[in-house]
Amino acid sequence: MALRIVVVGGGAAGIGAAGTAHQLDPDASVTVYTEFEDVGYSPCGIPYVHGKEIPKFENLFLQDKAFYKKMGLDIHYETRVNSFDLEDAKVCVEGEGDVAYDKLVIATGFNYKDPGVPGTDLEGLYYVKNIRRAMEWDKVLDSVKKAVVVEASPLGLEMVTALAHRGIETHLVDPHPWALAEVGDPDIMKPVMDSWTEMGVISHYNTKVEAFLGEGKVRAVQTNNGELEADLVVICTHKTPNNKLAREAGLDIGSTGGIIVDQRMATSKPGVFAAGDCNELPHGITQIPIQGLSGSHAYAQGKVAGNSATGGSRIYQPVYVPWGMVAGKWMIGGVSFGETLATALGIPFVLGVAQGISRARYYPDMKPVRVKLLAEPGSLKLIGAQMVGGEGIKERADFLAVAVKTGVTLHDLAWMENVYSPPIGALNEPIAMAAQNGLANAKS
Amino acid sequence: MAFFEWVRTNSEHYLMEASQREMAKKYMGTEPPVVGATVKDIFFRRLFVPIYRLLPYRLTKLVMMAMPGSHHKDWGSRKL
Repeated sequence: MALRIVVVGGGAAGIGAAGTAHQLDPDASVTVYTEFEDVGYSPCGIPYVHGKEIPKFENLFLQDKAFYKKMGLDIHYETRVNSFDLEDAKVCVEGEGDVAYDKLVIATGFNYKDPGVPGTDLEGLYYVKNIRRAMEWDKVLDSVKKAVVVEASPLGLEMVTALAHRGIETHLVDPHPWALAEVGDPDIMKPVMDSWTEMGVISHYNTKVEAFLGEGKVRAVQTNNGELEADLVVICTHKTPNNKLAREAGLDIGSTGGIIVDQRMATSKPGVFAAGDCNELPHGITQIPIQGLSGSHAYAQGKVAGNSATGGSRIYQPVYVPWGMVAGKWMIGGVSFGETLATALGIPFVLGVAQGISRARYYPDMKPVRVKLLAEPGSLKLIGAQMVGGEGIKERADFLAVAVKTGVTLHDLAWMENVYSPPIGALNEPIAMAAQNGLANAKS
Repeated sequence: MAFFEWVRTNSEHYLMEASQREMAKKYMGTEPPVVGATVKDIFFRRLFVPIYRLLPYRLTKLVMMAMPGSHHKDWGSRKL
């Protein structure tokens, strides 16, 4: 009898799991349940369509429904799974009843943290997630004069930038002292915040939302510093694991609220795997579990879960979290943690900071690149990094993630070889300059 | 929310708040206002954070590692 694999969730993790399972065991019956109308698109691209950098939403689709059908995946669109019965190996599907499985992959993703204030039931509050809703909201944006973005999370940064690009009067309301304060350091974020000001964004830091005001539809946001008029409010609060069904089914949940998994994405119940934003993974340096990572993490975890569901032995590894994005007129990025998070956790570190350039100083469009490295005192092994610059941030973040993972030291980086070619790289690599400064700080 | 989730959520929040104040002072030259004065605010700001910061990281990490989570599962050999 063919192996019956059920995947709950049609995002990056779910489709990664289903595709891998089908690839490894073509005879297996792979069924995917998603409550949405589509799978196989890039939700991360939605802010860029809103910002008009990408002309249309259709460009975000990687594959159409016919592709998955031809591939042999049985995808049930707009179909809600109501519960898991892990003892009898069944899922209860709305409109279909109980569906038996041999292996279950949970890829239920995330929810935005509830703002927890009055007025969240008003119309005009936009949660960026589903592409069909995004298409509808995009038409609304044509008539929006004033928008408020709630919280400078990674999505918040993208939406602020997108709305400003679109010419909408954009207010950012954030409870922290600077943007992306739970991830980025203030010196890294300063150029971004300055560029928003140049773009006309009005930022309200150290400001908490107290209520959304309006009759039926939102007209303003009440904060502890006053009222802000709004035709639209974009909620960009922290991503929390969407784990209601997993909790009810009795799966073990960790301190982050994510499902506890091992390196095979196996949960606390045999034959049940979890991947993506619904689970938690150990950080490579601290081993402390974290959750709410990127789409690339979710997709890779999904592939491991799909492999495990077919009896494979592929494993996932603790994460070092390279990240990067465009915000305002800058690129920012990093790996592992920055000065703010390391200080919060009480992790000792040596700091090395340098301001370099992305190309030869005489070459057109040369951009500044600020690099900040954190190293373990004594061994001087790299434990984290943050950067801001005009270009080349993503590639440096990827490189530094491998450097952190493999135990590269400030000594290694300070005298690293680097590409020097006027149009693409300067004589002095900013990472090396930061490492040299870090070595000097370590001696002092 | 389970007990360990509550502990982690709150300890993270107040430790980050204290760190952000320190970073704001260092890099921005200003200290953000302290908002809220509930019993929970007072406990975490006046007791938990100062005590946590007095303890060495290896000790606080031991406590964090004792909490339930994926790190107790098999993740193969890890770099420390």
